[in-house]
Amino acid sequence: MAEILNLIPSFRRIAMGAGLFLVLAAPSLREVLEQDMTRHMLIQLPFLVLAGWLLIPAAAASCRFVVIWDRFGIAGILTANLAAAYWMLPRSLDNAIALPVFEIAKFISLPLLVGVPLGCCWPRMPMLGKGFVMANVVSMLGIAGWLYLAAPVRVCVFYLSDQQEAVGRLLLCLAGAISLAVLFCAFVGFRPSAARTA
Amino acid sequence: MVTHPDLVPTLGARRAVIAYLAVFGAVLLLMMALGLLMRLNQGALVTLPPEIFYQSMTVHGTGMVGVASIGGAAVLWYFLGRYVRLTTWVFVLNLLTFTVGAAMILFADFVGGFAAAWTFLFPLPAKAGGQWEQWAAMVHLGGLLLIGTGFLLFHLDTARAILGRYGSLTRALGWPSLFGNDPEPPPPTIVASTMVLIVNTMGLVFGASVLVISLINLVVPQFTIDALIAKNMIYFFGHVFINATIYMAVIVVYELLPEYTGRPWKPNRPFLAAWTLSTVLVMVAYPHHLLMDFGMPHWLLILGQIVSYVSGLPILVVTAFGALMIVYRSGLRWDLAAGLLFIGVFGWAAGVVPAIIDATIIVNSVMHNTLWVPGHFHTYLLLGQVAMVLGFVAWTGKTRASQLFNALAFWIFVAGGIGLTQSFLYAGRLGIPRRFAEYLPEWIGQARIGAFSAALVVIGTVMLVGPLFIRLNRAMAVR
Amino acid sequence: MMRSLFLALTVAVIAMAVFGSATEGFRVFTTEGARRYAVEQAPHQLPAVTLEDQDGRSFSLDSLQGRVVLIEFIYTRCPTVCSALGDVFARLARALPGTVLLSISFDIEHDGRAELRRYADSHGADGDEWRVARPVHGQDLGPLLDGAGVVVIADGWGGYQHNAAVHLLDRHGRLVRILDFDPLSVLIDEVTPWLKS
Ligand code: HEM
Repeated sequence: MAEILNLIPSFRRIAMGAGLFLVLAAPSLREVLEQDMTRHMLIQLPFLVLAGWLLIPAAAASCRFVVIWDRFGIAGILTANLAAAYWMLPRSLDNAIALPVFEIAKFISLPLLVGVPLGCCWPRMPMLGKGFVMANVVSMLGIAGWLYLAAPVRVCVFYLSDQQEAVGRLLLCLAGAISLAVLFCAFVGFRPSAARTA
Repeated sequence: MVTHPDLVPTLGARRAVIAYLAVFGAVLLLMMALGLLMRLNQGALVTLPPEIFYQSMTVHGTGMVGVASIGGAAVLWYFLGRYVRLTTWVFVLNLLTFTVGAAMILFADFVGGFAAAWTFLFPLPAKAGGQWEQWAAMVHLGGLLLIGTGFLLFHLDTARAILGRYGSLTRALGWPSLFGNDPEPPPPTIVASTMVLIVNTMGLVFGASVLVISLINLVVPQFTIDALIAKNMIYFFGHVFINATIYMAVIVVYELLPEYTGRPWKPNRPFLAAWTLSTVLVMVAYPHHLLMDFGMPHWLLILGQIVSYVSGLPILVVTAFGALMIVYRSGLRWDLAAGLLFIGVFGWAAGVVPAIIDATIIVNSVMHNTLWVPGHFHTYLLLGQVAMVLGFVAWTGKTRASQLFNALAFWIFVAGGIGLTQSFLYAGRLGIPRRFAEYLPEWIGQARIGAFSAALVVIGTVMLVGPLFIRLNRAMAVR
Repeated sequence: MMRSLFLALTVAVIAMAVFGSATEGFRVFTTEGARRYAVEQAPHQLPAVTLEDQDGRSFSLDSLQGRVVLIEFIYTRCPTVCSALGDVFARLARALPGTVLLSISFDIEHDGRAELRRYADSHGADGDEWRVARPVHGQDLGPLLDGAGVVVIADGWGGYQHNAAVHLLDRHGRLVRILDFDPLSVLIDEVTPWLKS
């Protein structure tokens, strides 16, 4: 996936990223996506991250500044994880709907603090780190899915309880799908060159 | 394809392995002492307050599973390092997290009083009934989580190294030779390490999830999980993890028997098929348990249980058969290590027989909560897994101890092990329940035989790992 | 390497600070939790709106000052939570004599006096100690709900979903606690001290 994105020439990527961002920011689409918890969490938020990832040129990952300040992608992955975790708090999600300040913060922080660092650090992360992140992502998605299913009350005041359940189920499915994808990759094969750079 | 060992472990790597074995030996003895204490209590030879018995049982179960993994990891890492480049700091980090986690668990259980057994079945950790405080449950589960994290990194590092050399897991499992006609399959060590990394990574991901869920449940009791799902997840993790210890330890057999006999252990089709089959069986046996259903369909339960017990059988058969073929008329010169390896394979085989009996539904409904269960798993863990790791310990040392001392150590360990496991199995046949601290008068006899045998095991183990510590001590003194 | 570790550490520290403030010091993770925490920390007056009850009597919210008041927000057609809330109030009426119970409907389009009456009768509200009411003026509803921090959303089936909780006003008419109605015993234990003071 990441490799495929890197094949696209830089200016096209940036244009795509900016375009994606603008489309997501369009008021009518925003309203449609935020009306439903599933669309908000599983479409809008990931696409904002993707927009950020596209926005940085592929060469950025290997520029001197990034290499010095972000050895092994530690700082990058940490930033991305923590910023993403912030928007996983039910309260943040509610705030984004209720208060424009938070909505703006969401539209800035997801591309800039999650997408960009991810795009910068992922290609440089050693395989051990990638594997560890993936394993954590799968179990965190599983846990979050379960939390949404098991919550005795609605966790977001702006969303209905059946939407919450749908999100829970989808998160579990996502965890399963990611595990299968990783297994598939590992079984079918990494290009040894990619694995050796680790 | 690489078939022959071509890398020599660095000094740091060998030191790290010795550190593993030292921790293995020390924790093993401590846990065995607790086992002996429990058996003595059941035999009414000492009287423990019941809460101490259950705390000991929790520590013993958790600690033994952990220590078996540490021993297995040492074996796997040492021999895998002959073929691929592993990362020493990850290996050492795993030992550190294990040590810290084990200390947390000891503290939570003996000071905090946590005693929900190594299976920490939901919602038991939160339902202490006044036996332990919430913090104790949290520290215990946190310790497990820490240990799991270390092992996750350990397996990911082996994955990195194996993929770096073989490109894909299919090739590392030898599929081109199994399904095609590639004449050069990967060595058994690679096959076994690959299988273990697949199943254990899966197991650990599920295990970590259920641990975090249990922790959340402790903090916010309103968040409950379906107990059946939790149980499935825990057993998926637990069963995979404990089985994997054997698959790690058996690598020592694949590597050392050829050294002893000069006959290479070249994986043939049945061998590769067995490892692949077991990988798949372990993986397909468990997703069945994980359906988000409230009641488990009966047939699924039946299928899953048989499959999960039988999942180890193919590997056992090819290993036992392969070992016999290599040793047969090879003129092998028996020494302590070779003897322990042989007993290891024998004990593993011997333990699987009662396991299969137990997996038969009719027997299971009668036997399952009896001492039959500890009977079978002590057979293949104590006389199987632990014996193999002890064989590795003996081999790394090539002790200068006398033949007589070694022979004595060996036979005391074996005799005690057989006595202990037979006492469990015999008790199981009488229908004596497992996890009982106090026994009816007519049950005490077998417990005393068990306690006596356990004492022999402890003595034998001291004699077997003692030289390791003496060597360590000398090495320190020299430096 | 040092620079990278330094950066990582900085990121972690900043994140801790942000998470700390977003969760009021790791206490609340949901909007509902935040609403309860805020009320506990800084009790405030609800707007003095005029209500009318099942018997058609109008009264202002601040006319209840001097008594301990428990408020629930409902709509009478609600098949689930509100009828559970109704049962809770029925039991509270028995367990905590001396408190004023107030069920306020936010469905002013639909809930007229007759509907309030029916709800009161089916749950046993006497109209004295326990009154079922609605804001008289439509424009009062928004400020009242906002004041309490209640969010009402349409459920797509013609009904609503809303924060289900019991709102406790002390004798000065300040909203001092927002409490779960389950388990009831805990709720009673929470309210009792306020009756004494
Ligand atoms: C001197 C050797 C040993 C002795 C005396 C011993 C003794 C015991 C006893 C008395 C029990 C409780 C049985 C019951 O009433 O349910 C037990 C349980 C157990 N033992 Fe051992 N054991 C020994 C070695 C081992 C080894 C080597 C392992 C694994 C590597 C192991 C793993 C376990 C486990 C997992 C349990 C289950 C705990 C539970 O039910 O929660 N033991 N052992």
